[in-house]
Amino acid sequence: MDKKLKLDIYKKIVLSRRLEERVAELIKAGKVGGFMHPGVGQEALQVAAIATLRPDDYLLYAHRGVAYWVARGIPIEKVLCDLAGREGGTNRGKGGVMRVVYPELGVLGESGTLGGCFPIAAGAGLSIKVKHEDKVVLCFFGDGTSNRGTFHESLNFCAVRKLPVVFLCENNGWAVSMPTERSTAVKDIADRRHGYAMPGKTIDGNDVEQVFDAITEAVKHARSGHGPSLVEAKTYRLWGHWIGDPDSYRSREEVEKHWRRDPLPVYERKLMDEKVLVESARAEIDADARAQIDRAMAFMEKQAFPRPETALEDLYA
Amino acid sequence: MRTITYAEGIKEALEEEMRRDPSVILYGEDVANFGGIFRITSGLKEQFGDERVFDTPISENAFVGAGVGAALTGLRPVVELQFADFLFTAGDEIVLKAGMWRYAHGGAYKVPMVVRCPSGAAGVGPEHGQCPEAFFMHAPGLRIVSPATPADAKGLLKSAIRDDNPVLYFEHKLLYATKGEVPDDPDYLVPLGKAAIRREGDALTLVALSAMVPKAMKVAERLAKEGHHIEVIDPRSLNPFDRPAIIESVKKTGKIVVAEESYKTLGVGAEIGAMLMEDALEFLDRPLRRVAIPDVPIPTAAVLEQFVIPNEEKIYAACRELLA
Repeated sequence: MDKKLKLDIYKKIVLSRRLEERVAELIKAGKVGGFMHPGVGQEALQVAAIATLRPDDYLLYAHRGVAYWVARGIPIEKVLCDLAGREGGTNRGKGGVMRVVYPELGVLGESGTLGGCFPIAAGAGLSIKVKHEDKVVLCFFGDGTSNRGTFHESLNFCAVRKLPVVFLCENNGWAVSMPTERSTAVKDIADRRHGYAMPGKTIDGNDVEQVFDAITEAVKHARSGHGPSLVEAKTYRLWGHWIGDPDSYRSREEVEKHWRRDPLPVYERKLMDEKVLVESARAEIDADARAQIDRAMAFMEKQAFPRPETALEDLYA
Repeated sequence: MRTITYAEGIKEALEEEMRRDPSVILYGEDVANFGGIFRITSGLKEQFGDERVFDTPISENAFVGAGVGAALTGLRPVVELQFADFLFTAGDEIVLKAGMWRYAHGGAYKVPMVVRCPSGAAGVGPEHGQCPEAFFMHAPGLRIVSPATPADAKGLLKSAIRDDNPVLYFEHKLLYATKGEVPDDPDYLVPLGKAAIRREGDALTLVALSAMVPKAMKVAERLAKEGHHIEVIDPRSLNPFDRPAIIESVKKTGKIVVAEESYKTLGVGAEIGAMLMEDALEFLDRPLRRVAIPDVPIPTAAVLEQFVIPNEEKIYAACRELLA
């Protein structure tokens, strides 16, 4: 990883964190609807993994926060418009902030049901293979979602047809109020790769370089026609499942312990130690993120709400 | 014109569309090496290669959902389910993904895929013998066709493959061997959403779908001998649904019977009844009659199956009651 790439990843983590803080303020103030699942604490792995893709690759993000879109380069004002249900976003008010879509960058959208992503990812992989392209599909999902039947069916399907799909599990330890050890028979989700005879590993999802290296390897494997991989990135959801979640199911000690491993300050310190980042640049990056968000907010607030009768549009092609 | 079977009509449509458009692929359980359990696709792998025609593991959720993913990214997949009943196995992928992906993402993508669904009671019991069109007629975003003749089997499948929306294509197992005239033209298309008037008449409107059509035609012949000239309408598509064709007919006849191989409650006949209440009540001079499965699963033993599936006698009796 060169200095430019490290700084780019850092900037995107900062922008994602600041944006999510702003979104939380909006929701708490009742200014926009509240169907947003924050990803605070998981941005490092999301940004680092997406940094390995080419612009023409396909992305199926999960429901945990804004960092996927920031990392892929979707204009944040569009994300805010989707959140607010206004014109100017990506889905014309039909899917809210859970359905951000961006065909120009291979962002296929999101399944509303957990685990709906796996068959869609397999199908995008099938397209790539039939058309003899060298693209890949990166499919994010959580530890809880790995218990869906579609996980088994799709990983097996991709393995037998050698489809270019990278399955990336964000294991944050919790599926809403259900801890992984009570929901899932294996300790490491990546162990399930043995059932599909595919490569993969378990890594520290809060370590940018580990994630970047592991996904780079999995992408290379897929791109060169060798088929799918299953990578598990261990991380932690620092906020509640949704904005407003009372979070009564986790001990404060546990959450506190994980705040000390928050990937944003951890990566920041690392880059400072490496002299990639200096204090003046850090402050500048933070101020720039806030300014971008202010501009995006101003854009969003100027957009109209969709005409009610457009609810009847966009069903059939 | 040539005479071919309904099964041959389906196969010709697949061959012609695959030849015409390299983005059309075909897959499902046992479709490639074996040629499909109903032998519709035999020889297609040899013609088009195993990247475009292939067998899938027993994984309806994965391979139907993969059809959606492939359609989003530029292919036109034709996915074969072994039995229409397996639509329920892949329910999320059919109703929520195929039906809603485009809408939920504001029209950013289209989903041009066809799901072939062999339907109909044929001694195979509750989970392999249904005609579940009506369940999916309720779901927004899904085109639904259910051909009754070899010409429609071919022409509707070709239109379905060329359509930019997800289409559930119901092919009735008991119709596979039926024969009929089919045009040679490789661009012979039957448009989605257009009903066929199978027989004209003014005494009564008999709406019949899929395998009910040949039964309805026999009933019409029998009634004609008795002096009652009834009209037989085959909707062919349930989405889009040719409502005007039915309403126009009822304006002429004032009486309607709907024969379908669905469960009676909220079946196709229920929708037709509601539509007539809203838009054509003043033209009806007798109540609607529905001939459908009496809300039980389809039993396996022949004697039980025949008791619940609408037959000519039941359709005839319903017509006679209204004509009395």
